[in-house]
Amino acid sequence: MLKTVDSAVPVVCWSCSAVQNVSALFCANCSKIQPPPGGTYFSVFGIEPRLNLDLAALESEFHRLSRKLHPDRFARATDREKEWSLADTALLNDAYRTLKDPIRRTEYLLKLQGAEIGEEFAAANGRDRRDPSRVPSDLLEEVFELNMQLEETRAARKFGEVDEQLEKDLMLAKEKFDGLLKDVDSNLRAQGHAWDEGDDTARAAAQKAMVALLDRRRYLNNLVCDVAETLGA
Amino acid sequence: MAYSDKVVDHYNNPRNVGTLDKSSTEVGTGLVGAPECGDVMRLQIRVNPETQVIEEAKFKTFGCGSAIASSSLATEWIKGRTVEDALAIKNTDIVKELSLPPVKIHCSVLAEDAIRAAIGDWKKKNGVAETAPATAAAE
Repeated sequence: MLKTVDSAVPVVCWSCSAVQNVSALFCANCSKIQPPPGGTYFSVFGIEPRLNLDLAALESEFHRLSRKLHPDRFARATDREKEWSLADTALLNDAYRTLKDPIRRTEYLLKLQGAEIGEEFAAANGRDRRDPSRVPSDLLEEVFELNMQLEETRAARKFGEVDEQLEKDLMLAKEKFDGLLKDVDSNLRAQGHAWDEGDDTARAAAQKAMVALLDRRRYLNNLVCDVAETLGA
Repeated sequence: MAYSDKVVDHYNNPRNVGTLDKSSTEVGTGLVGAPECGDVMRLQIRVNPETQVIEEAKFKTFGCGSAIASSSLATEWIKGRTVEDALAIKNTDIVKELSLPPVKIHCSVLAEDAIRAAIGDWKKKNGVAETAPATAAAE
């Protein structure tokens, strides 16, 4: 994640001293390359944080900036500029990889907003701050059963046996979870839209909903991957 | 990240893996999950109706090494204790015993939740009132 710089302190171009946009990779005035900037992955692309993006525009901007940053273009530049072209390229790649994927983009935006997502926060939260509504309890029973079936299937396969009924059940379960995953994704899109268009109150509600949806999605996705891996192997 | 020797030991030789008859009135079942990582843990106890001592404890966990070790250790600890004694086990005890790193503390929380859920289920089946103080203190 990018460091967020204090926007009150103006960043100036090292070459021509023109005041820079906080995330500019190149000076707007003299076009010289700038060191890796602050701001967010969104601002690297010159856009406001939002969840519904024009992916074609994002891709063409990525290619445009990648070409401009290409190390070959800095063959005769100073060592400093050569270094920046590499560092800026790495930053641009991270930003693009994060923003082009809808789930990563959502997680990134939620983290920017201070949401606590993922294992690294589970520890900090401890039990006191854990929100029980985050556990998708309606799924637990099914998730557990499916894991049992998966284990049996793997064990059977290890001995060269195939339990056709069991594998058929697994495929059915996978289809069901695939369907649930699609539901979650369409819910995420709807909440993303609500976030993009909403005021602070609407955004807060959408954020909370999206954190819960991402939890549910992680569960479902793990399962679908496990089944695919077990049956596909 | 390296696992401690104790985690590795429980992971390689998990104690008390298995299933108890869910429909028996002497058996309490706790099924819990961690949204952070998608782990699921089932912990079951068989309680002697006369003495309220947990005579048997079984678990089955799908998750990382720390989650498996935490639940394995939990079953070891609650066996032979009374139901009320078992409720005194805290996730921090598990963290200490297994030397869990900060990112894996939630695995121990899950194990504590599983003990409470199993005991809660047994109490519900047997019409034993929830002892408010222990639960209230934890929330």
